[in-house]
Amino acid sequence: MSQISRRQAIAILGALGFGATAAACAGPGGSTAPGGATGPAAPSTGAVTGKVSFAHWRGEDKVVFDELIKRFAALHDGVEVVQDISTSNDYNAQGLQKVRGAAIGDAFATFRGAQFKNFTEAGIYAELKGSKAAASYQPGLLTAGQSGDSQLGLPYQVVFPMPMANADLFDKAGAEIAPKDWDGFLAMCEKLAASGVIPISWPGGDVGNGGQLFNCMIANNAPVDDMCAQIEQGKLKCTDDWFLRMLGQYKELVPYLQPNATGTAVEPAQNLFSQGKAAMLATGSYHIAAVRGLGATFPIELVFPNTSDGSGKFEGAYNATFILGVNSASKNQAASAAWIDFLSEPENAGYYANKTAQHVAVSNVEYTNPDLKRLSPWLDKKTALAARFQFQNLDVRNAVEASATAVISGTSPEQAAEAAQKIVDERL
Amino acid sequence: MSTHTKMADERKAPDGGTETGAAKGRRRSPTRVNPALYLFPLPAVAIIAFFLVMPTLQAFQYAITDWNGFSAAFNYVGLDNFVRAFTKDSLFTNALTNNLKFVLLVVIAQTAFSLVLALLLTKNSRGSILLRALFFFPTILSSVSVAFIWKFIYDPNFGLANAVLGGVGLEALQGSYLGNNAQALSWVAVTQVWFHAGQMMVVYIAGLQAIPRELYEAAEMDGAGKWQQFKSITWPFVAPATSIVVAYTTVQSFKAFDLILGIAGNPPKQSLDILSTRIYSTFANSEFGYAAAQSIIFMAMIALVTWLQRRLLRLTPKGE
Repeated sequence: MSQISRRQAIAILGALGFGATAAACAGPGGSTAPGGATGPAAPSTGAVTGKVSFAHWRGEDKVVFDELIKRFAALHDGVEVVQDISTSNDYNAQGLQKVRGAAIGDAFATFRGAQFKNFTEAGIYAELKGSKAAASYQPGLLTAGQSGDSQLGLPYQVVFPMPMANADLFDKAGAEIAPKDWDGFLAMCEKLAASGVIPISWPGGDVGNGGQLFNCMIANNAPVDDMCAQIEQGKLKCTDDWFLRMLGQYKELVPYLQPNATGTAVEPAQNLFSQGKAAMLATGSYHIAAVRGLGATFPIELVFPNTSDGSGKFEGAYNATFILGVNSASKNQAASAAWIDFLSEPENAGYYANKTAQHVAVSNVEYTNPDLKRLSPWLDKKTALAARFQFQNLDVRNAVEASATAVISGTSPEQAAEAAQKIVDERL
Repeated sequence: MSTHTKMADERKAPDGGTETGAAKGRRRSPTRVNPALYLFPLPAVAIIAFFLVMPTLQAFQYAITDWNGFSAAFNYVGLDNFVRAFTKDSLFTNALTNNLKFVLLVVIAQTAFSLVLALLLTKNSRGSILLRALFFFPTILSSVSVAFIWKFIYDPNFGLANAVLGGVGLEALQGSYLGNNAQALSWVAVTQVWFHAGQMMVVYIAGLQAIPRELYEAAEMDGAGKWQQFKSITWPFVAPATSIVVAYTTVQSFKAFDLILGIAGNPPKQSLDILSTRIYSTFANSEFGYAAAQSIIFMAMIALVTWLQRRLLRLTPKGE
């Protein structure tokens, strides 16, 4: 065997290092983004067989999906659906990277707003316009899954991001459960406080859940319906009068929140409500199952903190979320699309809804769950589509919502608004 | 002729014939080795290149682009991302400030607390061993568990902290803890110290147990008090351990990502945002290029602080 000198060996290792450097300098992104210039295509058709990865974040729904998967598999020989579940935070932060390339997530869900937009821009959605599944939905609720002329996703759940109310405590206090204006809402809180309970349990220490109240507070204050999009674009400002008025109303809520609300995480806030110590939980209907799980047996209603003087445009707020999609990079699109079709059938959507205590956007669903039946009238009210999900930039969203938290912790509305606007301006 | 020149000339000896016999013995023959030997480091080189060198170099490349993390299209923007971090992004400068405050708080508190613990528990009595185990126990927990435990300790409504204060009649001291923007970071620092002080205590105990007992006996015979003994015997011996403790604690505090996220949630509010959580938020916000630039700044910060610390804390035992 011929021998090499140390210098030659170093040269070889150097060449390897140079090779690694060159490889590292390949352009970011590459050409892996599916979709591309041709636009989204419908899922390919074929036999409904093989393995489907269903990526989502609702771990609490796993058992219900397991049962639906069993029923789906019974209809199709040789098909298998596997749930790939992340926590909601992880899914929000990493969902795109996980699903991209379809190593997982032949079928998947996204949050409304920034995540749906990012998935759309990355070309991950297959086109579902004209699909059997899309035809099953209430047309008005499909808009959150549309991009241009395409129906890329199917918003499966309908949630009401409004305070949940313990109807028994309201009865006991003689408080109006459907206040017509802001004064009425404050009077209602006053009656509840006088009866010896905390009027509102609010998880101000949890950015995500604490932020849901914002959807109600901004709905009738803003001059336009796309107010958050306009804030992000610089057309509206947090220092505008209407925004300051809203922050002033937040300040008026302070006496009616639990002590140290800005340091309260979501679980303790749920406990205050479940134990009957608080009359309202200012998160949303998506927490009904959790509250029931904590032992709450009282009837649950929804309350809209109507910030208007009685002439407000909206009677509540809702969100169309858990947007279902088929991955355009999936190698098993036929089975993935069939799974989404299956979930969108009224019978199956009804099973999901009743077992998880979530309304769905699918038409002709029969709600047998007592909570859903009780809250079903809200599906027909004039409700605003949750405004906070109009923000595409999460830094902007968090900063704007943080202005409300700052006011509750004692900062003046003007100072809080200026601090938020500074961050918005930096992101323009 | 200067010493330097003389030595240089002596190194030329093989040609000039002036080298001593001993030097001749030390001189190596031309290196010719079996090339197969060079294959042995190749797996390590390949792994380091693939998992360390390439990602690092890629981070440098992404840092000068406006890549959003998934699009095939991107632009090279030069140093714009770095300039933006320091001049047009108050969230980044806020996180940087928070991080430096957090490091300072934790380093001071953890070093002092673990040294005191070590001094109190250095004897091998049964009680000391039990207490050492108790203080070391948090170290074996996962940081996420620690975060959740303390999140509930700090809860203003159901938390242990307020319950204990209420139980002893100190309601006036009850607080919002993490909800108070001015204090939130300090309370997380308390958690971090609780989490790691036991580990650092072990480092100090190892240093303390290496001190010869005779030194203390001699000092006592000379009439030295406890403080004098600490100053003149204990501290010089544990000083190198302090160097290790400070270095380790600094790096650990810079990277307290999981603890912050566990306690404060994702995203943490501004008063609890540190560099690692800010970088995470920036990635999640689909600003991959900018997040890569922030990562490089973060890396440089840690390197700089570690280097400064090594320069300033050259603590070695007396006589060395």
